Amino acid sequence: MSRTAQKLSSKNWFFKVLAAVFAGGVLVCGLMGLVGVLCHTDGSPRSASGQYLMWMAALLWSALLSVCFLFRSGLQAWGVLIVANGVVWGLFVVLRSVLL
Amino acid sequence: MKLRADLVQLYRDVHSWVGIVAGLFLFVAFYAGAVTMFEEPLQSWASAPIALPPPVSLEQTPALLEKALAAYPEARDDYTIAVTPEDAQRGRLTWDGSGGQVHHGPTQSMAAGLDAQGNLVVVPKTPSEAAHFVDVLHQQVGLPLPHTPAMVLMGAVALLYAVALVSGVIAYLPALVKTLFAVRLGQSVRKRWLDVHNLLGLFSLPFHLVMAISSVVFAFHGQIFAVEHMLFPGSAAGQHGGMHGGGRGGEHGGHGGGPGHGHGPAQAASGAADTAPAPAPAPQRVLAPTEILALMARQAPGFVPEVLNYMQLGHGKDVVRVFGHDARYPTRGPTGGFVVLNSHTGAVQSGEYMPGHQPAKFAVLTTFFALHFGSFGGTPVRWGYVVLGLGGAFLFYTGNQLWIVSRRRRERESGLVVETRGTKLLAALTSGCTTGCVAGISAVFCAVPLLPYGGSYGAVSAVYYSVFCVFVAAAFCLPGQRGIRLLLAAAGVVTACVPLMLCLHGAHLLRTPEGLGVAVMAALLSVFLFASAAKHTREI
Repeated sequence: MSRTAQKLSSKNWFFKVLAAVFAGGVLVCGLMGLVGVLCHTDGSPRSASGQYLMWMAALLWSALLSVCFLFRSGLQAWGVLIVANGVVWGLFVVLRSVLL
Repeated sequence: MKLRADLVQLYRDVHSWVGIVAGLFLFVAFYAGAVTMFEEPLQSWASAPIALPPPVSLEQTPALLEKALAAYPEARDDYTIAVTPEDAQRGRLTWDGSGGQVHHGPTQSMAAGLDAQGNLVVVPKTPSEAAHFVDVLHQQVGLPLPHTPAMVLMGAVALLYAVALVSGVIAYLPALVKTLFAVRLGQSVRKRWLDVHNLLGLFSLPFHLVMAISSVVFAFHGQIFAVEHMLFPGSAAGQHGGMHGGGRGGEHGGHGGGPGHGHGPAQAASGAADTAPAPAPAPQRVLAPTEILALMARQAPGFVPEVLNYMQLGHGKDVVRVFGHDARYPTRGPTGGFVVLNSHTGAVQSGEYMPGHQPAKFAVLTTFFALHFGSFGGTPVRWGYVVLGLGGAFLFYTGNQLWIVSRRRRERESGLVVETRGTKLLAALTSGCTTGCVAGISAVFCAVPLLPYGGSYGAVSAVYYSVFCVFVAAAFCLPGQRGIRLLLAAAGVVTACVPLMLCLHGAHLLRTPEGLGVAVMAALLSVFLFASAAKHTREI
C-alpha cells in the first residue's frame, strides 16, 4: 500500500471507508470463523472462546477502519479486501469441513 | 519522529473530520460516564424512603419468606434477598412486580417486611430513575432513541472514536518531542487549545483505547454473537441468559454491558405457578440466606455478598445467584460479580464471573470489562475514572474549539469578513451541546427532590432534554462571545445548585465519602464553569 510513490490524500476517502465498513466487516467475520475453527470454539456467548472472538472482531474492524485510508484508491481498497475475503472464507470453509 | 508528510497530512484531515462528527456525542458519553461512577449512591439518595417496618434480621428471613411466598406465589420464580444493612433498608425481600417482563434498569418491584406482630407488609418499590437515566444517556451517547437503533449509532460513534485515536496519534507524532510539555499559554488561542488537546490526549491514550474497543463490543455484541452462531451452528447461542450482565439480578442490570441481561428463556415455562417440579418426590427445601452466607464465607473468604437472587429456572433447576464484590479482584460488572449455586445443595453451578475464583481465561475477559467500568482497585481507581472521564469530555471540547478556531483563522486569511454558515453552526452546536449536557444532568439531580418518587424515567428525561434544548437554542440565538459566556455561567449556576440540593435534601448522602465527593466535584465544576465564563475569548 505505502510502497507507492504516489502521494496519499484524504480526497477519495468515501469508497475506501465504504470498502472497510462492508468488505472489511465481512472479512472480519471470516477471520472470526477461521480463528474459531482453529481453536475449536462452539461460538457460544457463554464460552470464553466465543467472547475472545467478539473482542478480536471489534479490534480488527476498528484497526481496518483506521488503516483503510492508506489504500491508493477506493477501487484498490475494494479489490484487496474482496480478494482477502475470498482467501479467508475459502480457508474457513475448507478447514471447517476438515476439522469439524 | 520522521513520518512522510503526506501521510501525516492525510491523518490530520481524517482526525479533524472524524473528530468533528463524533466529538459532541463523545462529550455527552464521557461526561455522563463520569457521573455514572456515582450511580449507586446517587440512586439510593434519589429514591424515596420505603414505607416498611425495620427490616427483619437475616436469621428471621425464612419466616418472612414463608409468609410472602404463600401470599404471592408468583414471586417464587425469582426473588431477591438484600444482605447488607443499607440494601435491607430498601426491603429485605423484593421481587419483580411487573409480571416477568424484561426491562432495562429499575422496574416496578415489590418489597416485603414483617411488622412488630409478625404480620406480612408488602409495598410497591418505586426507585428513582435519575441515576439510571444518566447511565442510559452515557450508553446511548445522549440520543433519545429506542435502545436498538441507539446502540447501532453508538457503535458507529465508537468506531469513529477508534479511528480518531489512531489518526490523532499519527498526526501528532512528528511534533511529539518538540511540544509535549509545552503549553503555550501566552500565544494564540489556537495554539493553547492545540497544546492542551495534545497533552490531554496523549496522557489518557490507553484509557481512550480501552473505551473505544470496549464500546464497539458493547454496541455490536448481539450482532457478533449472531454471526458466531451462524459460523458455528453447533453452539447453544440461544441460552445466554443471566450469565453476563454484571448488575444485580434485575435490579439495575443496565450497565452490565454483556449480552443477555434478563432471565433465561426457561423462565417463561415456569409461569404456571405451583405445578412445577412434577416427578420430584417431595419439594426440597432451599438453603436459607444464613446458610448460603456461611457457605460463601467458608468457600470464598474475602468475597462480600450483597444480594442473593433465588431463581427457579424450570425442570427442577433451582439456583441462587450470589452477587457481591471482593476488594482484591476486578469485577465483571460495574459494581460486582456473582456466583451461581444450586439452591438446595449449595454446589457451585457457575463460577465464571466470581471475582478471584474465575478460570484464567475468564479472568482476562473480566479485566477488559473492569477496565471500562473502573471496577478494580477500589475507591482510588473510581476517582481516577471520574477524572479521566471528565478529562475525556474536556478533550473533545478542546478538539471542537480547535476546529472552530482554525477554521475561523483560515476564513479570515482568505479575506472573508463574516464567518461561513458551517463555522457558525458548529460553534453554536459545540457551546450549546456541551453546556446543555452539563446543565441538563445537573438539573436532573436538582429536580429529584421535587419529582414524585424521585423521578420516573419519563419525568427525568423531560427535565434533561428540555434544559438541553434550551441551551442549544440559546447558543443559536446568542452567537458570539457574550452568548458563550452566558451559557457557561448558566451551566455553572445549575451545577452549583447540585451541592445545595444535596445539603438541603437528604444530607445523609453527604456523610458518606462518595456523597461528599459528588458534592465537592459539582462545586469544583461550577467554579470551573464560572471561571471559563469569565475568561472565555473568541480570539484566534
